[in-house]
Amino acid sequence: MKDLSLDFQFTSSINKVWESLTDSEVLAKWMWKNDFKPVVGHVFQFRAEPNEWWDGILNGEVLEVDEPHKLSYKLGTGSEIHTVTWTFTKSEDGGTHLHLDQTGISDNPGAFEGAKYGQTESIGKLKKLLGEL
Amino acid sequence: MNEKSQERDVYVAIADPTRRKLLRLLAEAEELPLHELTTQFQMGRTAVSKHLAILKEVGLVADRKVGRETRYRLNADPLREIQDWVTFYEKFWNDKVALLKKLLMED
Repeated sequence: MKDLSLDFQFTSSINKVWESLTDSEVLAKWMWKNDFKPVVGHVFQFRAEPNEWWDGILNGEVLEVDEPHKLSYKLGTGSEIHTVTWTFTKSEDGGTHLHLDQTGISDNPGAFEGAKYGQTESIGKLKKLLGEL
Repeated sequence: MNEKSQERDVYVAIADPTRRKLLRLLAEAEELPLHELTTQFQMGRTAVSKHLAILKEVGLVADRKVGRETRYRLNADPLREIQDWVTFYEKFWNDKVALLKKLLMED
């Protein structure tokens, strides 16, 4: 099992960043289509474009909601279920510091191979849209 | 995250179904000439050759001239990067958050 820890800095306010990560419609714009709700126990799905290896569905369940400071949910498919935790902190300049912890990433997730290709594919499409290729 | 200057990487190389099929074909054979690869696709030889050039650029295929034909073979080493899932998710979230920042007009 491996963990991932990342930090991001936003100039937007903590409430705006919180909304971006919890509002279903905003999430759909930068993540995937979803039926997410920031309610503990809510079961949700992210739906990416299916491909030949993967049906495009990621299942999730909300674990913790402490607006606008902490958001945690399970996310994954098959046996590869991770815990994703976002921690929001107001910066001195009025912006927001966002910390991500993703735990439970297996060393050899064969069953999840399709999701990886799926995500890689969507990132590729995204970059094309953004003219970054 | 400014990725505009980033060179083509292995993720982009395998993001295309034609290129993944090429990799699978090459994985099943030791070495294949371009004309044999081309018969597996609806597209022409120039298009297939372009895809092979992208795979070559990231080191996923190697080629050599034998007489008048070019033969291609798989080099799976760069795929090791993709085996590392932590690296994969790091890239995934960095890309997603970069998009969110664009959405929030923070660029």
